[in-house]
Amino acid sequence: MSSDTQITLKKRKENPEDGELDITPMIDITFLLLAFFVVVSKMDPQAAVDLPKASFGLSVQDKECVVLIVAKDESGSQTNVYAGRSKDPELAINQADPGATEDAVGDYVQEQLSSHPELTSILIKAEGNVRVGDVEMVKRGVAKAELSSSREIYAGIKEEQQ
Amino acid sequence: MNDDAVDPPEEGGGGGFGLGRPTGELADAQSGDRPAIRHSMEVDQSGRRSDEKYKSMGWKGIDDDEPEDDEDPPVSFAKKEPIPEDELDMTPMVDVTFLLLIFFMVTASFTLQKSIPQPAASSDAPSTTVSEEEEPEDDYVGVIIDQNNSFYVTTRDDEEREAPSEMEMRRMVKDAKDTYGAERLVITAHVDATHGRLIAVCDAGQSSSLKIEVKTTELEY
Repeated sequence: MSSDTQITLKKRKENPEDGELDITPMIDITFLLLAFFVVVSKMDPQAAVDLPKASFGLSVQDKECVVLIVAKDESGSQTNVYAGRSKDPELAINQADPGATEDAVGDYVQEQLSSHPELTSILIKAEGNVRVGDVEMVKRGVAKAELSSSREIYAGIKEEQQ
Repeated sequence: MNDDAVDPPEEGGGGGFGLGRPTGELADAQSGDRPAIRHSMEVDQSGRRSDEKYKSMGWKGIDDDEPEDDEDPPVSFAKKEPIPEDELDMTPMVDVTFLLLIFFMVTASFTLQKSIPQPAASSDAPSTTVSEEEEPEDDYVGVIIDQNNSFYVTTRDDEEREAPSEMEMRRMVKDAKDTYGAERLVITAHVDATHGRLIAVCDAGQSSSLKIEVKTTELEY
């Protein structure tokens, strides 16, 4: 140890913290990529309905609607009606004749509207390639529900600028 | 010696390079505590080592584990200003805020569904006969979609013309609105036509703010 008057000091080492890798930007970018892929990827392949394109759609809140899906099955030969927000086979209304399907749709809409007062309208998400007759059948089913008489009926579309 | 070994490394980073000097209110407020701390250190460590004296003057000390070999040039040091306190780093907060903003924007747009209002179905079954329109009113434009998904547009001059394309159909509907002041759009769709074509006509009506009526028919055109 040197005396009081002659102190020689080692040059200060750099603070060890300065040398550490700062991972904050990496985490930022990771979250950004995560958000990007979450948005880009389809959230639920069952929910994917190939809606017809139109450019003058109105925006409705999905969760304020009773949702019905009309879609062709994978082979494209049969049209299925789903009472709900996804093409879950459990939600499918499998009725042999159109009249029974109408009744089932009517019962579903009536039940939903009576048990969920927050639901204000009916949204039919029909794929672009289904027959008009099948969509009409669902609409007639909706009309059978007494509570639906004063509610708006919307057809889901995919917005596209012309 | 162990007591003061805790202090210097955590405060040295900014101070050694003159970074992070107290500039804001926060630093001013905090630097007020300093003399008391220094004083207590001084009492605690008096007479232990020769450099204690300089530490009491504000020097933060060297790493104690380092042997003091004299190979480096001597450093002359002046009295340091009060040990700087780091300013609050706002960057991560801003990052997280933007991330939340993006998240909520995305989830909000997911719950919105674009849609076209549809008239409720009135009749129980598709009609099998041609029902005559209330023709005298000429404020409407009629569009027929046949079983082959072709469009036929009827306007006031009563001539029914096939629209060779969707674009043409849109133009004709718009013309009817602009030229004849049509206010209703009466769509007659064959049950075998596709829903996408019907929506295209509805969209054309919607763009001209016509009142839309939809009928279905099983009659081959």
